[in-house]
Order: sequence, then C-alpha cells, then structure tokens
Amino acid sequence: MTATTDTTDAETTDTDATPAAPGPGDAALAARAWMPLATDIGRWVAALVGSFVLFGLFVALRGVSPVEALKAVFESAVGDTDAIGETLVRATPLVLAALAVTVPARAGLFNIGGEGQLLLGAIGAVGASRMLDGAVPMVPTLAVMGLAAAATGAAWAGLAAVLRQVFGTNEAITTLLLNYIAGLILTWLVFEPWKDPQSLGQAYTKELDDQSRLPVLWGNRVHAGLLIAVVAAVAVWFLLSRTRWGFRLGVLGGNAEAARRAGFRVGGLSLGAMMVGGALAGLGGMTEVAGVEGRLRPEILVSYGYTAFLSSWLARHHPLHTLWAATLLGGIIVGGFGLKIATGLSGGAVEVLSALVLLGVLGFAQTGTRKAV
Amino acid sequence: MLLESVLTGAVRGGTSILYPTLGEVISERAGVVNLGTEGCMLAGALTAYAVGIETGSVWLGVVAGVVAGAVLGLLHAFMVITRRANPIATGLVVTFLALGLTALFGQDYVGQGVNAMGPVAIPGLSDLPFLGPILFDHDPLTYLSFAAAPAIWWVLFRTRAGLNIRAAGERPEVLEAFGTSPARVRYAAVVIGGALAGLGGAQLSTAFTLNWSERMTVGRGFVAVALVIFAAWDPLKAVGGAYLFSGAISLQLQLQARGWELSRYLLEAVPYLTVILVLVALSHRRRHAAPESLGRVLA
Amino acid sequence: MSPRRPRHLLFTALLALVALLAAACGSSGDDTATTGGSEGSGGATESSGGGAASGDTFTVGFIYVGPKDDFGYNQAAYQGSQAVAALDGVEVIQSENVPETAEAEAVMQSMIDKGAKLIFATSFGHLEFARNLAEENPDVVFVHQGGLEGEPGLDNLGTYFGTVYEPVYTAGIAAGAATKTGKLGYVYAFPIPQTLANINAFTLGAQSVNPAAETIAISTGSWCDPGLQAEAAKSLLDQGVDVITQHQDCTKTIIEATEAAGAFTVGYHADAAELAPKGWLTGSEWSWDQLYVDITTTVKDGKFAESDYNGDYRIGLQTGDNPFVQSEFGPSVTDDTKGKIDAAREAFIDGGSPFKGPVADQDGKEMYAADKQPTYAEVETMDFFVKGVIGTIG
Repeated sequence: MTATTDTTDAETTDTDATPAAPGPGDAALAARAWMPLATDIGRWVAALVGSFVLFGLFVALRGVSPVEALKAVFESAVGDTDAIGETLVRATPLVLAALAVTVPARAGLFNIGGEGQLLLGAIGAVGASRMLDGAVPMVPTLAVMGLAAAATGAAWAGLAAVLRQVFGTNEAITTLLLNYIAGLILTWLVFEPWKDPQSLGQAYTKELDDQSRLPVLWGNRVHAGLLIAVVAAVAVWFLLSRTRWGFRLGVLGGNAEAARRAGFRVGGLSLGAMMVGGALAGLGGMTEVAGVEGRLRPEILVSYGYTAFLSSWLARHHPLHTLWAATLLGGIIVGGFGLKIATGLSGGAVEVLSALVLLGVLGFAQTGTRKAV
Repeated sequence: MLLESVLTGAVRGGTSILYPTLGEVISERAGVVNLGTEGCMLAGALTAYAVGIETGSVWLGVVAGVVAGAVLGLLHAFMVITRRANPIATGLVVTFLALGLTALFGQDYVGQGVNAMGPVAIPGLSDLPFLGPILFDHDPLTYLSFAAAPAIWWVLFRTRAGLNIRAAGERPEVLEAFGTSPARVRYAAVVIGGALAGLGGAQLSTAFTLNWSERMTVGRGFVAVALVIFAAWDPLKAVGGAYLFSGAISLQLQLQARGWELSRYLLEAVPYLTVILVLVALSHRRRHAAPESLGRVLA
Repeated sequence: MSPRRPRHLLFTALLALVALLAAACGSSGDDTATTGGSEGSGGATESSGGGAASGDTFTVGFIYVGPKDDFGYNQAAYQGSQAVAALDGVEVIQSENVPETAEAEAVMQSMIDKGAKLIFATSFGHLEFARNLAEENPDVVFVHQGGLEGEPGLDNLGTYFGTVYEPVYTAGIAAGAATKTGKLGYVYAFPIPQTLANINAFTLGAQSVNPAAETIAISTGSWCDPGLQAEAAKSLLDQGVDVITQHQDCTKTIIEATEAAGAFTVGYHADAAELAPKGWLTGSEWSWDQLYVDITTTVKDGKFAESDYNGDYRIGLQTGDNPFVQSEFGPSVTDDTKGKIDAAREAFIDGGSPFKGPVADQDGKEMYAADKQPTYAEVETMDFFVKGVIGTIG
C-alpha cells in the first residue's frame, strides 16, 4: 500500500512485465520501478482472480457450476491449438482498433468510433478489391486494399475530428453516433448496390477473389492480419515514444494550453491523431474481411469496436500492452463460445466476465490514476 | 395529419429517453460523465419487467427498476470518484456489465406477459384538438416526466442542493471550503442519474413496449448522453432533445407508413443524423455551458 | 492525491455491491424456474463434460441466431431441438446468439470438437459457414434451415424448410375478410426473399377475398427493437390500418399495441392468441419436432446421403406435413372465411401455389404469367413487392 504513492501519471510509469519501457529517463525510472512492480503484479493478479470469482458467483446464481463454466471458458479460449488460433484470430482486429483508441488518447482525445471505423475500413478494402477485380497479383492487391481501408477509416475518424475542430463538437459523442450511421451504410451496401447477384437471396457481397484474401499462416484460420497487427503495435509504439510527433501528441494530451504556447499546431495534431487512429481501425476492418469473412455481411464486426476501446484502456494506452490486452478480451469472447455450448447460458454471460475484469483493472490495478473525474 | 402523428410519437417514445437525459444532466452538472446510462436503462428495463411479473404490481416493478439503475449508478460513482477510474471507460464497462447481466438473468422473462402500465387519457384535456392526443393520452410515467423536467430544473437552479451539485461540477474547491464534500455530492448526483436512467428503462419495458428482450435499449442511453450536450446541461432543454430524437424516429416510420418512396436506409439514419447535425449546429454555443470539471472529458 | 484506504476493504465493498444487484435479478429468476415456462436455464446443462461423445451417444448440435427463448423463430427451433434431445441415445448441444458471421464457423467447429455428428444451422445467414465446414468435415452432416444449397451440392450438406408462405397466404384471407378499411399493415426487418414472399403472399391472400386490399409494409431495420416496433405499429394504425402482422423475431410489442388499438392481429412464429383475446384472427407458427426428429434419425442411421434431406428439401401442404402451420382462429373469423381458407388450402394440397399467376409487381409489371407458378427456388429468391403493397425495398 505504501508503494502506490510514487506515481503521478500512468503514461510514464509503465512498470509491467512486458519489456518495453517507454519514454525518457528509463534508467532512473527502472531502478525505482522494482518495488512497485511486485505490488503491481499483485494487484493485477488480485483484480483478475477477483473478477473470475465474481463471475463464478453470477454463474452459480444461474444454477450452473462455476468450475464447469470456467473450465469451458478456458478450454474454448486456450484449450488446444485450434482454440488458441481462434483467440488470435479474434484478437487481430481488436489490436488494430485498440491502437485506434490509443493514438488519439495520447493527444487527449476519445475515439469511441472503432465500430464505425472498422466497418468503413472493411468497406474500403472490399471496394478496392472490387475495382481491381482480380486483375493484379496478390501482394499489390492487398496493398491497395490496405491503403483503401486505411483511407476510409481515417476519413471516418477525420470527420469527427474536423467537426471538433471547426464546430467544437465533442468527438467522443460524434464518433459514437457515427457508428450507427456506418452500420446503416454497410447494411445498404450489402442489400443493394454490392449485393452478390449469385447469393440465392443471402444479403452479402460477392466473395473476395483469391488475390484479395490474406494468406493463412497457421492452422485453419490464423491469417497474415496478425502480423499486420503486431507490426502496427510496434510502429505505434515507435511513433508515440520515439518521434517528435508522438512527443507533441503527449504534450497536447497532457496540457493543451502548454502545447499551444509551445507553438504546436493543435488543430493539425488532433486531426492527425484521430486520422491515424481511424486508419488503424480501418486496417483492422480489412484484416477481418480479407482474413476471415471473405465478404461483407450485415453483422460483421458487431461490438468489436467497443471491446477494442476497452482493450486500449486495459493496456493503459500502451501500444505494446495492447497486444495482450486485446488477446485477453478476445480470448474471453472466444471462451464464451464454449461456455454457451457447455452450459446453455446466454451469450451475455461472457460480457459479464469482460466487464468484471475491466472493473478490477480500471479500479484496482492502476498504480497511478489518470486525471481524476 | 403528419405533424400531429409525429409529435404524438415524439412524446410517446421520448419519455424513455427523457428520463436518462435528465439523469445525465444531474450527473454531469456534478462533474461526472456516465456512459453507463445505457446500462442503467437496460438494468431498469429488465428489473421493472421481472419484478412486475413476479409481484403482479407494475408499480413495484418500476420502483425496482429505479433501484437497479441507482445501483449501477453507485458502481459507476464508486469507480470514478473513489477509485478514480476514467469515467468514459468505466461507463462503457458498466454498460457491458449490464448487457451481460440482463442477458444472463433476463432469459426467463422474454415474451412473458407483464401487468402493463397502460395509457390513461386525461378526461376533457385528451379531447382537445391537436394537443389532446399529443400531450394528454399517455401512460402515468409520461405525465410524471412532464413534471420531472421543471422540478429538476427548480432543484438545480433554485435550491441549496442544486447549488451544491453545480458547485461540485464547477468549483469543487469552493464547496470544500464551505465544508461540503464534493465527492459526496457527486456520489448522490450519479446515483440519482442512474436511478432516472433506470426509470427510463422501466418506462420503456412496462409502459411503452410492454416487452423485455435482450439489448432492447439499442443505444437509447448513449443518445441520452449526447442529448445532454444538446440541452446545454439544462433539464428544460433536455425535453426538447429527447423529443427531437424520438420525433425523428417517429417521422421516419410515419413517412414509411405514408408510402413515401425514400430509401429505407436513409430513413433509418434520420434520427442519428438529426442528433449529429443539431449538435454540430449548436456546438459553439454549448461549449461554454459545460460544467468546468467535465473539462477535457466532454466539452 | 487522496490517501489510500486498504484495498481489500474496497474490493469487498464492490463485491457486496455487485452481489446485491445479482440478488435483485437472481432471486426473481429462480422463482420462474419453478413456475414453469422456462426451459431456458436447465436445457443443455448435462451436455458438457470432457472429451467427445462416446460411441453409443449420437451428438447433435444446434445453433440459433438469437436468444433461444425469444418467443419467436429461435424459440421454435429450440423447441424442435428438445424433441431431438428426447430421442434415445441422442445428446443435444446448442449455442444461442450465434451471429451470421465467421463466428458461426468457429462455434460449429467447437461443436464438432465436442463430437457432434449432425449440426442444425438454423438461421438463413449461417449457410455459408455450414458449407465451409461440410467441405472440411466429410464425416459430419450439416443441415441448414431456410437456405438453398446451390451447385455443386455436397453429400453431407442439405437444406430444409417449410413453404412458409402458404399459411401466411391463408392468414391473409382472414385479414382481407376482416378489414373494414381495406388497409393491412406489415412490420418487417430486412427485405430478404423470405420476408418479401411472406408480405406478397399475405397481400395476395387478402386480395383473393377483398380485391381492393392494400398492405403497408414498414421496415424497422432490426429483428427485435421493441421501441421501433411500438412506433411502427402506431404509425400503421394512424394510417387507418386495422389488421397488423409482422416478420420480426420478438413479436409481443406489436401484438400488444394492435390489440390496445382495437385492431386485428395476425401472428407469426408462435400462437400469441392470449396476447390478443379480442383481435386475434389467426397466424402461422412453427412445428419443427417431427422434421428435426426425422432428419436426426436418418443421419444417425447413416442414410443421409441417399435421403431427400441431402439437397434442398422443401415440404408444404402438398406433401401434407408443412412444419409451418396455421394457428387457431380467433373469435371474429366467420365460417364463411374459414370456408374460403379451407378452399385455398385444398388448392395448395392439390399442387397450387399462393403465387399462381397472374402476379404483377408494384408497378403493374407481370412477374408470373397467368397459370404459371414460380418454383421453390424462385420464391426463395423473390425480390419484388406485388401490386397492392405500399413500401420500398431499396
């Protein structure tokens, strides 16, 4: 309990198990970090165990054995190589959409629009693939799709940033509301102009051609999008902690007035942060559609954006920590598949588990606190 | 007549959005944003429905729904005020929790019949042309909301309690200097906010739709949070915001029923587009109305 | 920064708080479990356990797109699964809320890992994923509810469905006879072929007894959004509609609103006559038990490949065992109307179709020529509204 007093800002004191210590002055910090590290890990373990215990309690109230339920979750999420693969597949777009939260957050902006940006990215990727129409080999095709996805995702996020800049409209609210509009755009596309004429009545777009599919890396389903996600996480980490741009975002996020006085172009920085975020989420949408789904459907990526938002918070907005945070929440969702089958519980059961983990971590495992209230 | 139909729909469907908006006005006036409003609504909707069925009394159900919303509000308050967790992230987590819990415990109540809260036409007034159907042919919770908005306005701007709430949001240090704990005031405001969201959910399930189904609020609570900005943190303007959104829903369905040949996808987007456009149009003026300590979080 | 209090104390407080909430919901939940009407909780609890099913139990998987107790489409399928579960030597595993995305493939894969040898994919959009898995797992049979298999067919994949639109047409007769304003209302989710065929069949049925009858079709863009449903019903009633029906997954809100307004209800998915004691005309409801059991027995006996189920299996009044049946009549349906409904049903049994030409679309363009009948495949890919429907597909 004594160890908790040393920190002021979560961003500069990431003392968790993962090696990448960010930011300046690491040596001095690292030395000081040893003591809190132990407490910190203790807190994390307590928060996680606590949430699993509480989850067991809820499940028991529903008349299902908690041991049975947790076993089903674990087996389904990490029980064998297929399960692990499924978890990684699920985590891939989550990592990218979580980074889409992390970058604007560095500049003090809230991007709750992952949901819509993922969809716009998926739409952009499919649109690019439709235009190329199989005329180009795989690598350039995928590159064009990636660029298109990043561009559409960035544009969707940029819209919220521009509204903020020009009219002062709050970006947390606009990104959230734009999710609903994005969903309607997708529904319209799959029911109307892009509907597969050979679908025998199903509402979806034509299946992507082979050149437009991300290759499978491992097992049945783990696809190259996973590499994109890992590379993106490292790139964002580099961008935020090793470049002038990242430094400026941090200053802006810490104190907008200071940033202004330092002569930074605050508007440009904010817009850039949101658009980089949107581009990342857009890429996430592309990985899902080119790596997993193979076409657009009305229900793709539902609630991925919100899960990704929480992943970013779970990682305390550290780009590299996002990798495991998204994998944890993705794993819980995949664990839900097995839980539903084994216990007959409602699909909502695992949302309880995700929420409890988050409550534990947000409220009890943070060494420092962000700006209060 | 289209206008009469749309306005009637605006009031009928707007009540379940008005209560959470009013609740969020109180919460944000004290300086705490609660995106968990969506979750509080959902918890209120299920609890009211379930308790209504179990006890046979829809009013007991409504009270239970209010309590459920308040409990989730308390959780949010505890996380944000005591544990100093980020309010936006916590709010989403609270909503996730409510989504999961209501899906888990609501399974048995789907499609069950509730002892509904039906509309009660006010004798005399409901026969008025135009205004009668729009205002005086609704369920009791809708009438209550007519009184709730001005009452909350009065409390916020004309009483000591309201002054404390606003001070907690604007100048907590002043409040502290006068010997009142801002944290305590904020707790109260967030819990009341959650309770009102629960009441909105209860109205949705027991009076408006007479149904419980998983995720039945579908973003109404999030919209309420957006409408608070529209309303410039003013309970009276919140009425306009809630009715604007539900009026837009009503309008798109009324146009479909009248056979307007517009794209159904465009029509479905109308309510959300309306809120975004209105927020954009009003943003400049609204920014200065924001309580000080919402600060960066919502401005 | 405020001084910290001991952590465990706060954690206990949180625990107590959440437990309180759980108790509020939980205690009432337990009560209904005993009062009946809730197959929800206990259903599949027995089925887990380690490892695959042993040699003498035959494991059957069911996936549903929504909650299995939605009082609608999914609940009907769930009830069918319970008839399968009652078979000797058969174990049923299931999963609800499986979206029509690649997640369906993952869920069905884990059912295969648990030993499932037959999987019922019960939602329209689950088809492609069933097909993918059927290619990879030749020893597992997949049957899909409502889709068309397409070419080339697989020997371990089939689709099945009833001729949904037949009882909808006869319900339309009841609606056309009952309406005083000549305006009928239809609330639907998305313009998928099954829904369009239903709306058209309903309208044609009504027009067969009331040539001037019109159907106003309104979409909510959701299979279950009670708030929108309530407003949709009101907006129909505002237009003078006096019979309302729907193609939604949860049906209660619309029926309640219709009954409260004194209008007539035509049900869908389930018999909801008790919700509308005055206005209930009739409706259409699912009865999957026999078909599910037959499919399961066939697969269990190793006879799927040579059976009719291997392909697009459709049954209707002509074959005498349509799994989509007409609900009981309400009090206001006259004997004259019942006679007309019987006559229409006889015509279907003799090989007729609700869509027997001439059928024209909204603009009057002839879609099916006089005395022509569309095939099953044509009906199930329908993409237009017939004349007399007010509404837009695009």
